[in-house]
Amino acid sequence: MHDQDHHHPAPSALEWAKSVLLAGLGGYFLVTLLTGNVTNYINYRFTWLSVMAAGLFTLFAGYSLYTLIEQRRAAHNHDHSHHGHDHAHDHHHTMNWLVLFIAMIPLALGLLLPSKPLGAEAINGNVSLNAVSAAGGPRSLPVDPFDWTVLDWLTAFNHEASPAAFNGREARVIGFVYEEPGFPVDHFMVVRFTVSCCVADASAIGLPVAWGANERLPENTWVEISGTFQAGEFRGTVVPILRADQIAPIDQPAHPYLYP
Amino acid sequence: MDAEVRQNLRQMIWLLIGLTLLVLVIAIGLSGGGLATTVSIFRTRFLGIFIEAVPFLLLGAMVSGLIDAFVRREDLIRFIPRNRYLATTVGAFLGLAFPVCECGVVPVARRLYGKGLPVSVGIAFLLAAPVMNPIVFASTLAAFGFGSVLILRFALTAVIAIGIGFLFATFMRPTQVLRASALAPVSGGSDEVLVAPLVRVSSDRQSLLKGLGAAVGSATEDFFDMVRYLIIGCILAAALQTVISQEVLIRLGEGPVISVIVMQMLAFILSVCSTVDSFLALAFVGAFSTGSIVSFLTFGPMIDIKSTLMYLGVFQRRAVLILLAMPLIMTLAAGVIINLLGVQ
Repeated sequence: MHDQDHHHPAPSALEWAKSVLLAGLGGYFLVTLLTGNVTNYINYRFTWLSVMAAGLFTLFAGYSLYTLIEQRRAAHNHDHSHHGHDHAHDHHHTMNWLVLFIAMIPLALGLLLPSKPLGAEAINGNVSLNAVSAAGGPRSLPVDPFDWTVLDWLTAFNHEASPAAFNGREARVIGFVYEEPGFPVDHFMVVRFTVSCCVADASAIGLPVAWGANERLPENTWVEISGTFQAGEFRGTVVPILRADQIAPIDQPAHPYLYP
Repeated sequence: MDAEVRQNLRQMIWLLIGLTLLVLVIAIGLSGGGLATTVSIFRTRFLGIFIEAVPFLLLGAMVSGLIDAFVRREDLIRFIPRNRYLATTVGAFLGLAFPVCECGVVPVARRLYGKGLPVSVGIAFLLAAPVMNPIVFASTLAAFGFGSVLILRFALTAVIAIGIGFLFATFMRPTQVLRASALAPVSGGSDEVLVAPLVRVSSDRQSLLKGLGAAVGSATEDFFDMVRYLIIGCILAAALQTVISQEVLIRLGEGPVISVIVMQMLAFILSVCSTVDSFLALAFVGAFSTGSIVSFLTFGPMIDIKSTLMYLGVFQRRAVLILLAMPLIMTLAAGVIINLLGVQ
């Protein structure tokens, strides 16, 4: 327990380390927000939660540093006055270096390894051709079809019985290149991950793309594809396939995931 | 003294093992190659769940700290009926007053136990509160609209939480349920009804600033108490997700019984926060039965990897076993019945 009314010992190294760790976590959330890397992990819609976390970590760190400094001063002065921080808790806090180490893991993984969104290697099984729908009702699609994402096109496909209905429709989409096993050399999929909440629920969706060239695009490259849809066979069924007129490599977008 | 030295030594050994593993993981992650890719995916998933969950943990710890600083035991008595079955029923709806999700609910419950909350009331609160709160209502409404899934989720949660609460109220004593560290304030008295707190005069309401300081201080302690379970839970969930393919699970999930079991397993493994699990469940609506979706949304908030680990910090092993088994069986039965009735 923290019964220090009579002895006022100087705070232990563990107490200082806890404060520093809290400050570090606050700093990590702040860095993740400022670099925009937060969209590698969670749906953009929940960014305010990270802002709140950064704030609370800073508050916790600030307050615990303040009490530690007060405590140290009290220890130096042998001052017996109360300093308002009275841990009259009813239970033991089993806090030790091992717990501190566990609490350090997110910070270590967060800061010591480069931040990367999920890519082609993270595709677990098949890339889905079904649009993940959120919010119950049908998604409202952007007015301009050139603004349609992979998700928007798949939503439109899912609502139309005949794949041939999209023959000749022009599209411009971005995504990363994924080679499905068993694909012919001039075919690939342009893939995006959808994230409802955080990457725990990420699922890969994509459009099959056919292009004339007789070479493979390097997997995981971000590309912008312009072309027209033409119904064709894919995985044994007829679906709209994007015939690419132009494929341009682009930088990874600021928001690597789509939010259904 | 000898035991203490031995304990320190054991801690030190675990610390060294952990440190070695962490350095190894980071070294592999920086090395490039196939294993580095796996580490990178694991890292992204781990941090994703952590970054999404930790604000709720902080918020829950803060709420529990504020309760600690400003709610007196006497205040609680006024709200909770004397009759323990009535009290347990009220406990299931306490979440409406303390809106916290599953990460935050354990520290709040533990703190309320510290305030002398009867065990069964806390059990009903723990099981129901992650669903029974305004934030989850809003997210479920946004995801599914006002329909069978929303109604079944809330009704089933209330029924199961109250049922298990009654079970604890009837058959279990606090000493059989709580760990020693959480037990202290509930001790004494064969009946778990609040008698002691009436006798013990608690300190007067603290001044606002002092109270806020104390709230932040105890929130910090609570955070460190709980974050270890969250982190280990995140590590397990991210590792399993990186190893087991979701498609394999989905292929398993056909049929009225097996689909419910698969969604329960998924809820357990994913450990996704109850405020956002509705959106995740949407991804399965096409392929999975309504019963399995409802049991996913009911079972998951009560029991998953991270809440199990958190429960182990508050309850004795036997109580945790009951807390695992009962919701599992009850949501399984409910899911299968919903499927057999053909509810859409």
